[in-house]
Amino acid sequence: MAVTVNASTSSGLVWSSDLTGALQLQTNGTTVASTATNGNFAFNSGYGSAATAYGCRAWVNFDATPTIAASGNVSSVTRNGTGDFTVNFTNAMPDANYSAQYNTRPSSGAIVDICNISSVAGPTTSACRVFGGQSSNGAGRDPVVCFFAAFR
Amino acid sequence: MSQVIIYPNDEGWLSVISPAFNCGLSVEEIARKDVPAGKPYHIIDSSLLPTENTFFNAWEADFSNPDGHGIGHEAWFRGQ
Repeated sequence: MAVTVNASTSSGLVWSSDLTGALQLQTNGTTVASTATNGNFAFNSGYGSAATAYGCRAWVNFDATPTIAASGNVSSVTRNGTGDFTVNFTNAMPDANYSAQYNTRPSSGAIVDICNISSVAGPTTSACRVFGGQSSNGAGRDPVVCFFAAFR
Repeated sequence: MSQVIIYPNDEGWLSVISPAFNCGLSVEEIARKDVPAGKPYHIIDSSLLPTENTFFNAWEADFSNPDGHGIGHEAWFRGQ
């Protein structure tokens, strides 16, 4: 069990607890969110049951200049060259095994059919280098908007 | 206009760093952290950058009297 807060439609607020250190939020006795003693947070929100959530630990929306429109856990974006950027994290990742996603919106008529994590430098705990360009010749291309997110 | 950080990269041209001003760090702190260790940098107004990016790889700047030198990510996070 756990420290349980149950919002019942018949009894109102129902509290119960033990000494496990876990926490559960319930609606009519069904767990909708919880925290486990290992720190994992779970929630339902349409998933079907309360399942462990894996968070987006860094994200940014920027253009090629590279001006940042909005971001989270990103200290800056470095423009290394045409279509070549590095996203720098404010707080470091626990390791480099996060899943980084990168995509762009190209300018009208421009072909940007490569959007990947750079082969020049692999993801590190503190930054991730990304590249966008044209597959026919490998040349970098500057997109209109760049979208980056890292999950862990 | 906003401030940006420029430094000479290993490829032989300039890198431009745009700070995220919601990250809680000052532009000076971001420069020390995100400029690679030992690289000189300038903090300039972004309006001073060329507006045309086509010849980005030909941009040059004088770093004989820099605003500072980067310490890099590793040293920055080690010091946190």
